[in-house]
Amino acid sequence: MDFATIHSFYTVIIFAAFIGLLIWLFVIKRKPDFDQAANAIFADEQKPKQKQQQESDHE
Amino acid sequence: MSQTKSLNVDYNYTVVRLFALTTVLWGIVGMSVGVLLAAQLYWPALNFDTAWLTYSRLRPLHTNAVIFAFGTSALFATSYYVVQRTCQVRLYAEKLAMFTFIGWQVVIIAAAITLPQGISQSKEYAELEWPIDVLIAIVWISYAVVFFGTMIKRTTSHIYVANWFYGGFIITVAALHIVNSMVIPVSLTKSYSIYGGAVDAMVQWWYGHNAVGFLLTAGFLGMMYYFVPKQAGRPVYSYRLSVVHFWALIALYIWAGSHHLHYTALPDWTQSVGMVMSVILFVPSWGGMINGIMTLSGAWHKLKTDPILRFLIVSLSFYGMSTFEGPMMAIKSVNALSHYTDWTVGHVHSGALGWVAMVSIGALYHMIPILFGQGRMYSLKLVNTHFWLHTTGVVLYIVAMWISGIMQGMMWRAVNTDGTLTYSFVQSLEASYPFYLMRFIGGCFVVTGMLVMAYNVIKTVRAKEGVLEPVAEAA
Repeated sequence: MDFATIHSFYTVIIFAAFIGLLIWLFVIKRKPDFDQAANAIFADEQKPKQKQQQESDHE
Repeated sequence: MSQTKSLNVDYNYTVVRLFALTTVLWGIVGMSVGVLLAAQLYWPALNFDTAWLTYSRLRPLHTNAVIFAFGTSALFATSYYVVQRTCQVRLYAEKLAMFTFIGWQVVIIAAAITLPQGISQSKEYAELEWPIDVLIAIVWISYAVVFFGTMIKRTTSHIYVANWFYGGFIITVAALHIVNSMVIPVSLTKSYSIYGGAVDAMVQWWYGHNAVGFLLTAGFLGMMYYFVPKQAGRPVYSYRLSVVHFWALIALYIWAGSHHLHYTALPDWTQSVGMVMSVILFVPSWGGMINGIMTLSGAWHKLKTDPILRFLIVSLSFYGMSTFEGPMMAIKSVNALSHYTDWTVGHVHSGALGWVAMVSIGALYHMIPILFGQGRMYSLKLVNTHFWLHTTGVVLYIVAMWISGIMQGMMWRAVNTDGTLTYSFVQSLEASYPFYLMRFIGGCFVVTGMLVMAYNVIKTVRAKEGVLEPVAEAA
């Protein structure tokens, strides 16, 4: 196989992968999955607060 | 510090702190050299007839200092911070992380020593000679081990999108650096590229443009996807869009480099591919920008009160502006006007000072109080002052370069009816002269802003732990 053929296949594979990505994002996965992921950055803030609350509950 | 940490994962902030502080230092150094160069273009006597103070020697020092010392230190600091906090795990291989800090500082100092002496490979943004290149490669691979190691031992199931951008940036920069630095050394300070002619040029701009695309874009987008939502206190506008953004950006950017070589010995079709890919790149770039800015939708009022958020959001406007300007300049007919003029210089600085510097500064203002156990920066008023100094400086700079650049392009291509050139080069230089002063003034604004930042940072770092209380959230 020469370069041109390899690159033609490569282009098609990349294109298919991208379409696959879109299907995965918008059809297979649901919005709530991503909402959870998007909120991941706030997870480390909530933890200490919850712990504090639990501690104060004990008292 | 340890009291707040004991409730949570015990993060390694030592390396992050060191990189964060050196970011400020190298920012001031790199930008000051830039101001000196701007002054030399207006007052040529400022090179004092000293070889190592000439424009040609200091220019690579400036670019290396701002890209690799300032920008990359900001990336090291924020990536180590973000990867720990989003993976909720302490840094992997902490000694290696410390090695990346020391190694990177050695690289910077070696650059500062060799470049003014004229020791250079003469490849733009890859000037450093081979022994330094070897060290960069070692540090970079260590960086990848630390970053991906941390990601692998994460306690969360999902890898947050910012880490994808950081990861993409780290892998690609390693590949770019190693391929473009392939040389045959003839002595400790001299080497020759293994590529020849147009191939060498193409490899160089494959590297050069992807340094822009992956170091100065993907890396800083990682920063954006963490610090913008975090500072705004709300999740990113669309997480789905951020995933499309990532894959589209990394799939397309790698093809755009040849737009730096329009109308050269490079084959025509390669130039056209570069042009088309650059124009398509506009789509993911603006998708990402809109995603960042729309994160604030419903909370626009925060911009009024929060100067840190203002830094972050305005950086995105500059990102949008320069990623519109870039594809436009990559179109061959526009490039025929813009190439080799000050327009290019203005474009680079709207990206570098507007996007890269502002998003880094915003991230640092968010991060530094947390790193040093404070609730906020020493003075938010000074953050605001910095914002206006920086914005004024950048606007002065890019407006000056737009006018000067387009004027140069028009003057250089003007021909008389008999086919002779209307203007000599010196005439175009004289026409640009006032704008060089304007650029110098803009640069002074930017450096002054950085000095204000340094003062604010020192005051924050030296304040007694926990003294600076967080600002109450406006309801």
